[in-house]
Amino acid sequence: MGNTKNIISGKKITIVIIIILAIWFLRMIYISFDGPSTASSVFETFWLWRFFGRLHPLVVHFPVGLLLFAAILELFTLKKFDSPLRPGINLLVAAGVISAIISVAFGFLLSRDGNYEDDLSIHQWLGIGTTCLGLVSWFLLNRILRKNRLSLVKSYRIILFFSALGVSLAGHFGASLAHGNDYLSSTLPWTDDYTPAGSVNFELASFKNDTSKLTIKQEAELNVQVRAIFAHNCYKCHGAEKVKGELRLDRKNMVFKGGENGPVIVPGNARESELFRRITLPSSHKDRMPSKGKMLSENDIAVINFWIQKGAPWPDGPDKENVFKVAALPPRNPKLPPASGNMTNPVDRWTNQYFIKNKTSWPNLVDDGTYLRRIFLDIIGLLPSPQEIDAFTKDSRPDKRSLWVRQLLNREDDYAMHWLTFWNDALRNDYTGTGYITKGRYDITDWLYKSIKSNKPYQQFVKELVSPAEGSKGFVEGIKWRGVVNASQRTEMQAAQNVSQVFLGLNLKCASCHNSFISDWKLDDAYAFANIFADSTLEINRCDKPTGKFTDARMLWKELGTIDNKATVSVKRAQLAENMIKPENGRLYRTLVNRIWAQLMGRGLIEPVDIMDNEPWSQDLLDWMAFNFQQNKSDIKELIYLITTSKTYQLPSAGFKDPNKIVSQDYKFTGMLRKRMTAEQFADAAGSVIGPLFHDSLVKYKPVMQPGYVQSSPLFARASLVVNNTFLTALGRPNRETVSTSRESQANLLQALELTNGERFNSMIKKGAEDWKKRYKHSDVIIKEIYKRALGREAQPKEFEVAKKLLGNKPETDSIQDLFWAIMLLPEFQIIY
Amino acid sequence: MNTPWNRREFLKGTSAATIAALAAGVPITSFLTSCNRRKANSSADTVILLWMAGGMAHTDTFDPKRYTPFSKGMKANDVLSTFKSIPTILDGVSFSDGLQSIGNVMDRGTLIRSYVAGDMGHILHSRHQYHWHTCYKPPQSVSAPHIGSWIAKELGSVNPVIPAFINIGQRFTLGEGEELKAFHTAGFLGSEYGPFLIPDPSSGLESVKPPVGMSATRFEKRNQLYNDLISKSAAGEFGSDYQKESLRRSMEQAYMLLKSPEAAAFDLNKEPRQSYDIYNTGKFGLGCLMARRLTEQGARFISVTTEYEPFKSWDTHDNGHTRLIDMKKQIDGPVSQLIKDLERTGHLDRTLIILASEFSRDMMVEGRPDLKVKEQVNQPDIIDDIKNYGMHRHFTDGCSILMFGGGIKKGYVYGKTADERPCKTIEKPIVIDQIHQTIYHALGIEEDANYVVEKRPFYTTPDGLGKAELELFT
Repeated sequence: MGNTKNIISGKKITIVIIIILAIWFLRMIYISFDGPSTASSVFETFWLWRFFGRLHPLVVHFPVGLLLFAAILELFTLKKFDSPLRPGINLLVAAGVISAIISVAFGFLLSRDGNYEDDLSIHQWLGIGTTCLGLVSWFLLNRILRKNRLSLVKSYRIILFFSALGVSLAGHFGASLAHGNDYLSSTLPWTDDYTPAGSVNFELASFKNDTSKLTIKQEAELNVQVRAIFAHNCYKCHGAEKVKGELRLDRKNMVFKGGENGPVIVPGNARESELFRRITLPSSHKDRMPSKGKMLSENDIAVINFWIQKGAPWPDGPDKENVFKVAALPPRNPKLPPASGNMTNPVDRWTNQYFIKNKTSWPNLVDDGTYLRRIFLDIIGLLPSPQEIDAFTKDSRPDKRSLWVRQLLNREDDYAMHWLTFWNDALRNDYTGTGYITKGRYDITDWLYKSIKSNKPYQQFVKELVSPAEGSKGFVEGIKWRGVVNASQRTEMQAAQNVSQVFLGLNLKCASCHNSFISDWKLDDAYAFANIFADSTLEINRCDKPTGKFTDARMLWKELGTIDNKATVSVKRAQLAENMIKPENGRLYRTLVNRIWAQLMGRGLIEPVDIMDNEPWSQDLLDWMAFNFQQNKSDIKELIYLITTSKTYQLPSAGFKDPNKIVSQDYKFTGMLRKRMTAEQFADAAGSVIGPLFHDSLVKYKPVMQPGYVQSSPLFARASLVVNNTFLTALGRPNRETVSTSRESQANLLQALELTNGERFNSMIKKGAEDWKKRYKHSDVIIKEIYKRALGREAQPKEFEVAKKLLGNKPETDSIQDLFWAIMLLPEFQIIY
Repeated sequence: MNTPWNRREFLKGTSAATIAALAAGVPITSFLTSCNRRKANSSADTVILLWMAGGMAHTDTFDPKRYTPFSKGMKANDVLSTFKSIPTILDGVSFSDGLQSIGNVMDRGTLIRSYVAGDMGHILHSRHQYHWHTCYKPPQSVSAPHIGSWIAKELGSVNPVIPAFINIGQRFTLGEGEELKAFHTAGFLGSEYGPFLIPDPSSGLESVKPPVGMSATRFEKRNQLYNDLISKSAAGEFGSDYQKESLRRSMEQAYMLLKSPEAAAFDLNKEPRQSYDIYNTGKFGLGCLMARRLTEQGARFISVTTEYEPFKSWDTHDNGHTRLIDMKKQIDGPVSQLIKDLERTGHLDRTLIILASEFSRDMMVEGRPDLKVKEQVNQPDIIDDIKNYGMHRHFTDGCSILMFGGGIKKGYVYGKTADERPCKTIEKPIVIDQIHQTIYHALGIEEDANYVVEKRPFYTTPDGLGKAELELFT
């Protein structure tokens, strides 16, 4: 086995390697013990296991280094296996494999201790796989050396190289776990999430060494994060409104001055800082802060800890106002990605780009039946009839889907009756409700119906609601209760809140009582906006107490124009309307586009749809659609056409087991989110399949009486036109006392009871059963018909068998009724797939 | 070394914290974050609210003053009570004539004589009722939940087949029906916690049994059919999602309720004749009977109301004296019997019963003495007609509330009103925030229970500031 000289040089190399690794090891220990920590957690697992678990990240660097190095050295021995490096390699492989086993064991301990999710299993299995590969290569190496089985050299080398690769990959995923999955890629200039080194983005990974100095920008960024935490959790009692314990946390000098008991922050020493002590006390402790409501999250506590340890940086200069994220106001027209292949619809071109970025592939689009049911329910709120299903199936035109969408959009009255529900909710318009009793409320249904039916350009639509004529004044006039109401709920303030919520996706409700804790909107801003709707300037009330202060009427964004404070209400509203619909007001168009998208796709690009300052899953898609919607005469039907004819809309629906995932930060779009039929869709679907649920006497608005009325089908009272009732309420129609922009999607017991034994539904299906018995007579026909009408398909043999067993050869009313009931309660009937 | 600073979590968490509100397609409550938990010590599991809708005059019911019998030409301002006082089982405590039976069970409960209703200007009953039931003055910018919904949300059902919040005796098709609907709601908590409505207790069973005309066998078969069709359905290929799961779960729950033996609690015909007759003073009395039966089977929150209809029942804009004779007949027997029955069956200890009204009435003062509001009743200074003899104006400054069971003191009187007009609260004023917190306290619901809706905390009482009146507890 080689000569003495070679052995010595091999040993030398080995010693050098071990020294380097030892330095590395010490460095890792230093970092992991010096890292910041919080004081708020309890020991759940035995401390020693936790300690060993924490050693995993540094132990893991041994197999990384050793096996990689062994593989590299192995490359130098390709020509001659028995090279002078051989003993060193042998040692490296042995040490590498042993430490890999240890690191796997420690990794298990760490995984029980930390909060890791998705990436963990990849990392875990790669780690285990690598260790096994390492073991095999070590085994082979031993066979070669001891029994001189040179035939194994090739296999040994291949396996060693693979374990080196495995080590690198496992290391990569491990780093992702600890640092985020863009830890590596963000340093690469050619990737999307590339972050230039000097960027203001607060990249925590860059602070992993506690002794490092923050850049000025990083300090500013950290400071803003801390102030956002203060704003959300502390301002309420320690801000401009209230100054409990003589402590204010909203201004630099006051933060460092402290409260009645002196300073609350000792820069550089979190443990000695009263503020830090208070936020980390157990919730039962009398000194705990916040004294009311939620405790700070561990993350928030960690940020504050880090900030204080870093010397509590708070850059001088004017206090930066924007603690909260605010979306950009102006429109934006991003350059459309080029059309490729059959990706011609602009929506699809953006989705395609998004899919490429997220490594999602395009699945097959939904079949004709699913698509037809979707567009019918989404555009006109009805199920397709058996005739329509047949016609669509037989239609062989290649662009039949687009043609049918166009056709549905042209069914003006059906379209209006469907979208009336959405707008009634949003504009909290109803036929009955509070306020009407004392003439403190106005119905806008006639104006609204005609506006939807005529596809009034959205700009005009908004204008007529904000600066109303008689027929549309109900929205800004609000609901006036008899008696005295809270200043923050006077009708002028209602108008300010509702206009900003519905048209701008902006929550002004908090700011209309006191400076908001959840945004940068101030009491003064809310009153300035409300003054647009006021005859005389409103006295500012803070938490319902007059302040003696006044403010001039003005827009929420100065960029959008001015309001003449001296003018009459109608002039001010007209100015507001003109300012609102300006193309510069990108927010107006984004908000609308996002709402329509949410109606069709089950989830907005931004959620919740009323908080347009949140991040969309694709800013480009949203901005492009909003810009082009505005350019395209703000034509809502064209927007619906654009979306519903896209392949994006035709993707298979996504079903979530855990609804929280839908709004989680890492939501990924894969297709329409499954939707549950609204109360109105369900009632109309049941009505068209079997018979009317509502007597004509319940109809409160009768488009039938209007000239030009065309209702293609069916001939019964649509649910959107009837007065609210227990059936619709149980299925989710809101009472429209407040603006409502989304419906509940989960079923509950009260709904199930209404459908199981409610008088309205059961008497309707009973009557239907009597009719069907006379009309169809035979069980087979009845089964075939009900499946076709209700579910748009044939009954499958097994289903047919079950139904036939119930009906027998001579169907009775009772059994027909029960079949109707069972089919209409199927999830397949109630969910839009 | 405690919690490591996990940088990845940190990056994720800070931005995720800004997402919290309603969203399309997502059950609302999944956005609601709270720190709510039930306290270890509670003194009640069930609440029965006996609601005297329309404004019950304290001086003609539980807080009688000097009696002036009717005579033509009498001075209106002399009249404080239109009934004579009668003794109760408690020394020195009198009730108005006609409430003898309730007077006899006062050794089991507490009489509050100092409730002060909210100031909301020109009076509209439904606004004060909204305030009483939600603790918030309407209108609100978010839909405020009924106290029953809060309790249903926090504690759920006692018996899983009995809905947690049951509302007995109110129809919504009458005058001000829309205003009543505005607070008979779970609001932002989601309709799952809304009231299970039984407008008429004598047909209560219909709400919880198979549809009219359907036999038990057929009901069973129908349910089997449903399950068979689901298992054979082609929709299986779509896999599972939360909407589908919630549909199936709710159907299962409804089925369980409708076939459960406990549903018989809704069936008043199962009550022995003698007992039924005691309760049968009308809809309200039968409502009390149903409340008793449901409590015995495990209910959480039940509201029984003397139905509100403008100018009817307690809403005495005229003939106050005459009409109260009948109103007292309606409540006296059933309320006292309810207390006695629950005591006998051992349920009273863990059942808190509250009898209350949105405000009181007076012959002269509308609103409160120092804050009079627009008068709605024309009261002549000299009374010639008996129809003008009664408490017809809306008085908010002194109202009576009864509480029994659930850890409340026995044979106790809290607060006091003046013996001369204005008969307003002069000792220990108590307001709605305290009443609500007292109820929550008994149930073991934390004082600062709240949910974050539209990014701000919404508490059980405004700003979470209400305090329970611990003096009311034993």
